[in-house]
Amino acid sequence: MDEFQEILQDFLVEAFELIEQLDQDLVELENNPDDLELLNRIFRVAHTIKGSSSFLNFDILTELTHHMEDVLNKARKEELKVTPEVMDVVLPSIDMMKALLQLIRDTGTDKGDIDIVQVVKDLDVISKGDASLPEPSKKAKAPAPASSGPAKTDSNEEKTGDYKDPLADEPELDYASMTDDEVEAEINRLINKKQDVIKQKKTAKTSEAEKTPAETPAPVKAPVPVEKKAAAPAPKKTTNPPPVEQTIRVDVKRLDHLMNLIGELVLGKNRLMKINDDVEERYEGEEFLEELNQVVAMVSLVTTDLQIAVMKTRMLPIGKVFQKFPRMIRDLTRELSKKIDLKIEGEETELDKSIVEVIGDPLVHIIRNSCDHGIEIPADRVAKGKPETGTVDLKAYNEGNHIVVQITDDGKGLDPEGLKNHSIKKGILTQTEANNMSDKEAYALIFKPGFSTAAQVTNVSGRGVGMDVVKTNLEKLNGIIDIESEIGQYTTIKLKIPLTLAIIQALLIGVQEEYYAIPLASVLETVRITPDEIYTVENRQVLRLRDEVLSLVHIADIFDVERVFENHDHTYVVVLGLAEAKIGVIVDSLVGQEEIVIKNLGEYLKGMEGIAGATIRGDGGVTLIVDVAAIMHMAKEITSQAVTTESATAKPKNGPEDYTIMVVDDSKTDRKIMKSALKPLGVNIVEASDGVDALTKLKSGEYDIDGMMVDIEMPRMDGYQLASEIRKYNKYKDLPLMAVTSRNSKSDRMRGVEAGMSEYITKPYSADYIANVVKRNLGLE
Amino acid sequence: MSSKLQEVVSKQQKQANPTENEEHKILQLVGFVVGEEEFAIPILTIQEIIKPIEYTRVPRTPSHVLGVFNLRGSVIPLIDLRMKFGVQATKTDDMRYIVLKDGDETAGFVIDRLNQAIRINKDKIDPAPEATTQEKSLIEGVGKQDDKIITILRVSKLLERDF
Repeated sequence: MDEFQEILQDFLVEAFELIEQLDQDLVELENNPDDLELLNRIFRVAHTIKGSSSFLNFDILTELTHHMEDVLNKARKEELKVTPEVMDVVLPSIDMMKALLQLIRDTGTDKGDIDIVQVVKDLDVISKGDASLPEPSKKAKAPAPASSGPAKTDSNEEKTGDYKDPLADEPELDYASMTDDEVEAEINRLINKKQDVIKQKKTAKTSEAEKTPAETPAPVKAPVPVEKKAAAPAPKKTTNPPPVEQTIRVDVKRLDHLMNLIGELVLGKNRLMKINDDVEERYEGEEFLEELNQVVAMVSLVTTDLQIAVMKTRMLPIGKVFQKFPRMIRDLTRELSKKIDLKIEGEETELDKSIVEVIGDPLVHIIRNSCDHGIEIPADRVAKGKPETGTVDLKAYNEGNHIVVQITDDGKGLDPEGLKNHSIKKGILTQTEANNMSDKEAYALIFKPGFSTAAQVTNVSGRGVGMDVVKTNLEKLNGIIDIESEIGQYTTIKLKIPLTLAIIQALLIGVQEEYYAIPLASVLETVRITPDEIYTVENRQVLRLRDEVLSLVHIADIFDVERVFENHDHTYVVVLGLAEAKIGVIVDSLVGQEEIVIKNLGEYLKGMEGIAGATIRGDGGVTLIVDVAAIMHMAKEITSQAVTTESATAKPKNGPEDYTIMVVDDSKTDRKIMKSALKPLGVNIVEASDGVDALTKLKSGEYDIDGMMVDIEMPRMDGYQLASEIRKYNKYKDLPLMAVTSRNSKSDRMRGVEAGMSEYITKPYSADYIANVVKRNLGLE
Repeated sequence: MSSKLQEVVSKQQKQANPTENEEHKILQLVGFVVGEEEFAIPILTIQEIIKPIEYTRVPRTPSHVLGVFNLRGSVIPLIDLRMKFGVQATKTDDMRYIVLKDGDETAGFVIDRLNQAIRINKDKIDPAPEATTQEKSLIEGVGKQDDKIITILRVSKLLERDF
């Protein structure tokens, strides 16, 4: 039973591979119905699957492929012209074959609820009906009785397991009328046929099911040249034995394991390099350093090469994904009554297997969209002076560490105004947002869930989920989407995808004492700015970067990093791009670029918002990796601390009751006196018992403090210290701080100014005097 | 001589057999202190015990989740048992990380100090006293030894995400 399972597995793997190729070939066939090479290839696939499935006792599959084979065999021998009508029957039969294979894969048998009767009937109609139709041009070359014979016998042989004499069913040919060469060819053919049958039996016995089909094509094709006399030389190419394949199949799990090991090695390498740097510093000028340097350089080089080599073993050509599109376009053109040409370029571009698996769906949606919404119906195109047939261009190429997949259609293009209006109507955009939007941002609207510009929902698109799928999948891959368009001319959608997922290049950034790694694939650029370049629009911090307005978020706000010290002079903004969105992240420092290995955080911390994983750095410490997609979502909910106070002060202050003063004094009595002095002003009062208390209350943001009365001598933190702490914060740069103290020497006053006090009031004071000072400082006069 | 040998052998067998039976009943624990109280966990669930090393804070986690640390190439969460149990967390020289493993899950736990390895008869372990708090399931049982009572913690529950 185990052996059978093994054969079955091999059969399925092979069958699915064959089918992928098949779809493309069939569509090509429709365009070049006379391509004999192509027909032979297609025929072989049906034949191979039939052979194997009959061996494995899949009767339904055998029956279906048998009838397909009949039709294809006729076409191959030019008795049947390949028309779109014929293809309309053949293609569904291929689909059914796929369904059956899937059923076998899932259940181990082809006896399910797939009904092949109708399809078989359709196939029969074509193979029988059309054969009887006179085809004058071909008939001369291929007399019906002679050629239909071998076709059936071929299939019978396979089906019955070749128990009878393989040559018994050969049609009687008129040998006398043949030339010497032809007779010789015919003899050779018959010998080959017999030998192959013997071979087949052998291989069947040794249970090498998948080999049988590989060898059978030779005899199957052989009859063609004889029957068609004139075309004798052409098929010779195809009868050549296929070159020995220089590949082996490897379980993906083994490759994954290998990749993990390489990951460890990369970490080791990073560590080694760090140690090397340290050693270099300590023993500068010593001789052994030279040697150590060489070894480290060598290890690092080999590790990088090894990593690339292993990565390459996981690579698949993107053509594997592209293969299904010709068929899809063909179906779409018929369904939508449009004329569309699909051009494919760069199928050989390679991508990591895990990425190839995820990229298929987004491409399907984009191409469907291009066909449905992009390309106009032929009449419209002609009216616009465009060629009747629209073109969808599918192109893949490498660009640095990325692969770019580009989909261009020469359809009606995207209309930014139309998109905006539509979004406003659907309630996913406000008028103000729309006004501030660039064309590029407007194009990105098509990715919003619930957005669909199609006037009506068709079979093809219009449900408003497709493009959302594109976005989600691209985000998963850390990819970037870029759209370009011109109304009436074209739409280009560019997908930029990193080459691999396990080991990535990252930008390390610092915020206070912490470090984070941002996948470099998502980093568009980094800029150094001064704080006054940051503007606040509708409670959001924004930065004008060239001709774009970029919304900003401080990484400390996302990751709740306590801001102990603040850098006044300048700050860095990392511009992140993901899918179609962009955001600027403010960080304290840029550390550098490093190759990192992604490790997960384990079950306990799985799925922490904003964290994609962790990596181990050269110094052995752990650095968290930023989940760019997540922080983009998080940024929307966060209004920075600085922004909160700014927006609060932006609240209209109509009278004294809108102002709040904090009274900081360790003596309760003093606070009471102060309160009573301020009471007539009508301002709100918050009390704090010392510097630490005051600072905490101020930072908590609970109160919106407009001014502070500060005592100098207090436990824990005195007034001077408090003032200098407060002045460290940019947003409290201009907060009125009024020192209230009995110390009135000149040096005390000087210290007060140095610490950042704005007023210096000496005790005792009159209530009027205090009220006036406060009024002046708050601007209440 | 041979009878003497026989005697020794049979004596040894007698000794060996009962201890074997005894082995089944004995549970080996590692005792440690968190705050003022003594706890214990089955020795087989402990992967290793290490001295405190640097860890990296993970944002947006409760305060008892300190972050993650690097244990020979694996990234492992670090949980402060003192904070989890609501005890004042102070830094001492005796502080240790106990790395516990249950199935595929691993985590390090900060404790105040290690106490001793304990061998305890299973008969002497009582189920957790009826309690209404969620801590109920965190306690696997209470072991009585001499004059002491030791709380045995349930490792699977400790390793369960609690936020």
